[in-house]
Amino acid sequence: MTNFDAAVSAEDLTKRYGSGDALVTALDAVTVAFGRGELTAIMGPSGSGKSTLMHCLAGLDTPTAGRVWLDGSRHGDAGRVELSGLRDDALTALRRDRMGFVFQAFNLLPTLTAWENITLPLDLAGRRPDQSFADTVIDAVGLRNRLHHRPAQLSGGQQQRVACARALISRPDVVFADEPTGALDSRAGAEVLGFLRRSVDELAQTVVMVTHDPVAASYADRVLFLADGKIVDELREPSADRVLDRIRSLESAARGTRTVGVGA
Amino acid sequence: MLRAMLRDLRAHLGRVAMTLAAIVLGVAFVVATWVVSDSAAATVSSGSYRTDLAAVVESRPKTTTDREIPVEVVARLAALPGVTRAEGVREGYAALIGTSGKIGTTSFAETAGTDWDDSQRFALTSGRGPQRTGEIALEAQAAAEAGLTVGDPARVLLGGDRSDTATVVGVFTYRATGWEFDPAVAFDADTATRLLRDRDLPPTAVTGFARIELSGADERAVVAAATAALGAGFRVESGSDLREKQAENARSDGDVIRKALLAFAAVALLAGVFVIANTFTMLVTQRTRQFALLRAVGARRAQVRRAVLTEAVVLGLVGSTLGVAMGVGLGLLAMRLLPVVGEVAYVVSPWAVLLGYAVGVIVTIVAAYGSARRAARVSPMAALRTDATVPRRSLVLRTVVGLLAIGAGAAMVAVTSPEDLTEPKRILAMAGAVLAWFGVLLTAPILVSAVLAPLTRLLRKPRPVTRIALRNAVRDPRRTAATSSALMIGLSLVCAFSTVGQTLSTETTAQISSAVPENAVVLRAAAFGTLDDTAGAAARAVPEVTALAAPRSGGVEVVAANGRSSDTEFTSLDPAAVGSAIRPRITSGGSDLRRGVMLAQRVGTELGVKTGDQVRLRFPVEGDSPATVEVPVTVVGLHEGSDLLRGQLVDDALVPSGVYRYGDSMYAVGADASVLRGALERAFASRPDVLVQDREQLLDDLLEPYQLVLGLVYVLLGAAVVIAVFGVVNTLALSVLERTRELGVFRALGASRALVRQTVRRESVVISLYGGVLGIGVGVLLGGVMQYVILANPVFGMSVPWLTAGVALLGMGLVGVLAALWPARRAARADILAAIATE
Repeated sequence: MTNFDAAVSAEDLTKRYGSGDALVTALDAVTVAFGRGELTAIMGPSGSGKSTLMHCLAGLDTPTAGRVWLDGSRHGDAGRVELSGLRDDALTALRRDRMGFVFQAFNLLPTLTAWENITLPLDLAGRRPDQSFADTVIDAVGLRNRLHHRPAQLSGGQQQRVACARALISRPDVVFADEPTGALDSRAGAEVLGFLRRSVDELAQTVVMVTHDPVAASYADRVLFLADGKIVDELREPSADRVLDRIRSLESAARGTRTVGVGA
Repeated sequence: MLRAMLRDLRAHLGRVAMTLAAIVLGVAFVVATWVVSDSAAATVSSGSYRTDLAAVVESRPKTTTDREIPVEVVARLAALPGVTRAEGVREGYAALIGTSGKIGTTSFAETAGTDWDDSQRFALTSGRGPQRTGEIALEAQAAAEAGLTVGDPARVLLGGDRSDTATVVGVFTYRATGWEFDPAVAFDADTATRLLRDRDLPPTAVTGFARIELSGADERAVVAAATAALGAGFRVESGSDLREKQAENARSDGDVIRKALLAFAAVALLAGVFVIANTFTMLVTQRTRQFALLRAVGARRAQVRRAVLTEAVVLGLVGSTLGVAMGVGLGLLAMRLLPVVGEVAYVVSPWAVLLGYAVGVIVTIVAAYGSARRAARVSPMAALRTDATVPRRSLVLRTVVGLLAIGAGAAMVAVTSPEDLTEPKRILAMAGAVLAWFGVLLTAPILVSAVLAPLTRLLRKPRPVTRIALRNAVRDPRRTAATSSALMIGLSLVCAFSTVGQTLSTETTAQISSAVPENAVVLRAAAFGTLDDTAGAAARAVPEVTALAAPRSGGVEVVAANGRSSDTEFTSLDPAAVGSAIRPRITSGGSDLRRGVMLAQRVGTELGVKTGDQVRLRFPVEGDSPATVEVPVTVVGLHEGSDLLRGQLVDDALVPSGVYRYGDSMYAVGADASVLRGALERAFASRPDVLVQDREQLLDDLLEPYQLVLGLVYVLLGAAVVIAVFGVVNTLALSVLERTRELGVFRALGASRALVRQTVRRESVVISLYGGVLGIGVGVLLGGVMQYVILANPVFGMSVPWLTAGVALLGMGLVGVLAALWPARRAARADILAAIATE
């Protein structure tokens, strides 16, 4: 790996499930770093371990072995934290203050309004939102006149934009997006991806996105390809076509043993 | 199809267990109630039938005092053909003197002494029968009250103002016949002849038998022979008639017990219906996608509906079986724990079991029916969505009906008035209150949104925990309403009864406090007896007494100058004591009884009589032929009647001789209250039948029965509250299961486990407190109508039982916290990864 300024990095990250005959190695000693202010896409077939990688990076899942660092420049030298070994409450606080999440199924809290959903991470921390930054984010996602609606009153694309705003509101060190366009039509998906792109370009946000969609991956600065729990390839400045080519070549290498799924 | 459903049920054993538990609890309470009432009825009547009686002879008295049978009649009856045995039974005043030096209250003292014989009247539980002077046997409950057992010395107060000390040689239970009261004390025959007599008979008076019991093989022949031998002055009843009468009494006693208990069971059941219906609705809601999938692969609506109903029947049957078993166990346990002396009958009738099953299965099916219909209406498309919901029923109809019920109920109360509260109007007002109560139950879901939703806005900056808890509580108003309604049912009745109790106790306290001076010494007849003339004389003889009010009441007819008249009561007392030892509540005029009569305000209004008018008091005079004596008198004032000063107040000297009047309390005042009390205690130390008390003790004694009844009511309604509390746990636990995904997201976004627990706990507290506030509010209003109906006070003239309300509210808060314990833990353990995984 290159020695650039990383927001999140992992070393020898391994995750195994089960034991004996049923032992599954989801991650196999993965060492990776995600550049600050970059949009990185993680691609790979079903079961390649891309979701597991993201969950371990986000402290949602506990790796069997290996270490993960979160390195927040906004927090000075003390900002470098190793996730392994942290207790649940410390991890929870870390997720709340220094990470943002966007899920495929939106996962907004149905009883809260759009505005309340967006500010929930700050609320949980007992902090007040920075009004000018909140305005910036809300205008960027174009939800100004939807703030007092409940999620059920919003379209899928609008809900996902609320989720994006929620992920950004605390100015986290990193935003993890898990198949953010998986449940959206292409136009709504493009809006969400455009927004994530702009958050990187205009707000210098670091974004890590798991996706199986070459078009989504083309919005990234860098694409990592996972197979069988290992990083097998990498692409910078991707276009949808180049991503697709790379997938095909990986597919042909693996032909006969598995089919590349497009499902999550 | 069915197999799929059953598999599905098995996969959600936790949820099934909760539904079952709701059914089990509801059924168990109903069955337990039935078992207790059956057993109580059987206990009342069990083992007390005498088989040794062919007939009982009593005198047919001309007057109340002349009712004893001369001793020689026994010999005449014994000689009759067919009579194998004739036994005279004596009755006389007798009361056990307790350790306080005063007599107890268990037995009716006037007939509590009897003579021992070896008939089936007595069943010894320990020791033996009395054989000579100085020995007595005691009835078991009276002995328990006085704290006496075999071998103890006992003091007995007897007629003619004597007392006797004897050793307890036996304890017995009594088999009463017909209307007979259980005696407390039995002497041997000779001693009984010497000692037993009516209370006011002198010791030298010759006494006879209260009744004569005849034995003989041919009951009819014995009855016929006795009737022929004795003539019209006697009544002869056959043994089988008496047994039948007694069985009839036992049955009606049992019925009274059963009806009272079943009323409470019905309340518990109503709470149970809410819990079962709510749980079932949630069980169905959570399987929306399951139903949609079934529909998508080709299940018809009817099939889905039938499957859900089948499930309900299965759950109902299983739940009823467990509930019946538990109810029988609980009922038998309750009978065991009841403080009953003597043999207790345990009865489990087939009706109890059948009723349990009927309740369990029918309630479950009714509760499930709505859910089944809605489950069948789930669109197959819902299978494809992650956030699919069961279509909701509209609340419009329910709310409209509820509001109409409240309005009609309020109107029914409003058209009646305290001034003119006849029996039908009382019933109308009470029915209105109950109707409005049901109306509140119906409008509860709308109330949830109307009350709790603004609360989120009222709280300026609610912490996210509180906000989310509140939002969760209102997100399904129907569910929250059902949960808190179950709480409200029990709680509102507790508060209604408490309000009535509080009002009664406030009124009594106010009456006593205004009528009796604070430093007065109260002399009261013990054991619900009356005070005789000697008690008054003894009190007047105490030099420390400066004024003594000895009110005695009787019947009188007041005739006004305009011809109108009223059959009512009078109370006579010493005019000097009015205003000093006792104070009537004067509504107009004065209170100088030397110059005339004070009419009760009610009578004055009824007759149109004012202060200064003339009336005639028509007193009935006792004697061989009924007669009346009229006394013309001026009305000096009007007063508000009370239990202490009933009806028209007159001077003692004004009442003609021969007019029957009785009193049970006297009020004495003196220069120094404690000196006075000491002097009176000494003066009445040898009078076990007179209690010397102060005003506080008098109040405590008067209020005690209310407290006892209220305590019992609270315990019985408690069952409804317990079932409702279980409903809160159920709702929360199922809600938490339903929100697994949401909770996971909440955790992923940075909510700590403690925060998740807190959110669930607050939701629980919100629901419980809402039920509590609603229950207390509705209960106090219902209590207002109840006390209006009972006392004819204004509806809003009730006393609010602040203490009960406060305790209830605190209790509901606690219920909220406790009910959330397990669901909150479960919520905090929500698996984040599983929640955010898309499938």
